[in-house]
Amino acid sequence: METNEINARLKAAQINNALGFFIMAFGVIVLFAMIYTETFIEHMTDMVAGIILISIGGGMMWRAKSNIKKLKAKKE
Amino acid sequence: MLAGIDYFIVIAYIIGMLLLGLYFKKFVNSSEDYFLGGKSLPFWAIGMSIVVSDIGALDFVGVSGQAYRYGISVGNFDWVGSVPAMLLAAFIFIPYFWRGGMYTIPEYLGRRYNQKVRTIASVTWILFFALDLGVLFWASAVLLNVLMGWPIWISIVATAGVVGLYTYFGGITAVIMTDVVQFVIMFIGGFALVFLSLYEVGGWDNMVDKIATMGPEYRNHFDIIQPQDTKSPFPWTGILFGLTFVMANAYMIGNQSIVQRCLTAKNEWHAKASMIFGSALKMFIPILVLFPGLMAVVVHPGLLDGDQALPMMIKSILPPGLVGLMFAAFFAGLMSSVDSLLNSTATLFTKDIYEPFIKKGADDKHYLRVGQITTLVLLLIGVATSPISSDFPGIYVAIQTFMSYFQGPIFAILLLGIFWKRTTEWGGLSALVIGIGFAIYLNVFKEQFFTIEDPFLYISWWSFLLGFIVNVTVSLLTKKHTEEQLQGLVFSSKILVKNKKL
Repeated sequence: METNEINARLKAAQINNALGFFIMAFGVIVLFAMIYTETFIEHMTDMVAGIILISIGGGMMWRAKSNIKKLKAKKE
Repeated sequence: MLAGIDYFIVIAYIIGMLLLGLYFKKFVNSSEDYFLGGKSLPFWAIGMSIVVSDIGALDFVGVSGQAYRYGISVGNFDWVGSVPAMLLAAFIFIPYFWRGGMYTIPEYLGRRYNQKVRTIASVTWILFFALDLGVLFWASAVLLNVLMGWPIWISIVATAGVVGLYTYFGGITAVIMTDVVQFVIMFIGGFALVFLSLYEVGGWDNMVDKIATMGPEYRNHFDIIQPQDTKSPFPWTGILFGLTFVMANAYMIGNQSIVQRCLTAKNEWHAKASMIFGSALKMFIPILVLFPGLMAVVVHPGLLDGDQALPMMIKSILPPGLVGLMFAAFFAGLMSSVDSLLNSTATLFTKDIYEPFIKKGADDKHYLRVGQITTLVLLLIGVATSPISSDFPGIYVAIQTFMSYFQGPIFAILLLGIFWKRTTEWGGLSALVIGIGFAIYLNVFKEQFFTIEDPFLYISWWSFLLGFIVNVTVSLLTKKHTEEQLQGLVFSSKILVKNKKL
């Protein structure tokens, strides 16, 4: 793989990592907000929304981190 | 006013956006990085960004309000008013812009017609974008004032500080990536709102039955096609001719802030795929935006201002946490509109005005610096002009309406430019000038020509048609371009396959 291509992929992975962290952090906050809800349906809505955000953000971070690791190894 | 956890979420979102945007500074080393993200971005991020830019916070509230007043016919703007145009853009126009290495739409017009057409188109966009900035700053400040209780001037400075910093340093990469976050949050919050609203009204069938019994003004609420004599601004003739044929295409093909996103794609496949992916996502927008407006008819009947429908539904239906998140997404929608305008205007000025007229052939770092300084100057203009908006309550609608008027003639010259080899520089120039003039004339004397209150769909259609006819007529009377001059600028069936030699 060319150095330019590795750098481009590394850039994409770093961007995804940052986005994933941001989305996951908000998922945690929404999950935390569950303690302020009053009804069962509100409780469940916050829980589902929080879990979805954490899954999307966590998934992005996990994939990005594994790509960064692979690409850095190739670069060296 | 928000309190507790929701207040905290909005603050955290604003600070988070700033930090995220600033993080992208490390990817900006050249003018191509700044204006086109180094041509390295993936289709999914661009597609999400196109959708978010198209449906900003003001539109989110406005479309819900129109659904509350007029029913589901407003959904036409996101279905027939977007999807066919996005597919046309993806398969026909974007490949030419991308392969040509262009930065702006006027740049294409300059190559296809002449420098005058490029300059007129560019200056027109710059003027409207700059005017829009002040309005958007004011809208953001009002939202922060209402939600957080901050004084207006502090709200304006806070918005300008956050958006300005990340757009100044991060360029279009920061603009697109902050849109991705907003898209994810808006969709999750939006679907939660639709789900809980349906639960509140007792299901879809129950809601339809209830609305049907509310009076004659709700009789056409579930008709997606409205008769020609409707009192709403969406008669089927306007939707078909003005929206589907002209405005949608002009917006998706001729709007710098939309097309510039596709030009950031890492290759041609990603550029096309971004529009196609965006069109698929667009089909969900009416569900997120229109349904809460419809359900508000049952949950909050008799609202005097339809634009209150969505904020009322969010406050009354969503649980703590998601209320803050949805309002943060609203604010992010406004920030997204502002950052798009800043970056697109900086690109238009640097590439279409500064580079050809003020300093040709300077080194790349110089143009990067010019782009950044233009962003700062625009930011200051936006902040300084924002209080004017409070004196003119209808200014946002007026600016959007005027923008729709010159889209007709611009689309006419873009369409003929791509599909008809015979069109000439004088044809394009006269079509642009006469078309815009005619649209202004129709607007000034609209009472004499149209029966509906806001005939912007009809005006865009007629100005397009006149621009088209003028272009054809003048082109036939003037000297045509040579084959060499047209290479890579007019339609060839080779564009549909993987042939890079056009």
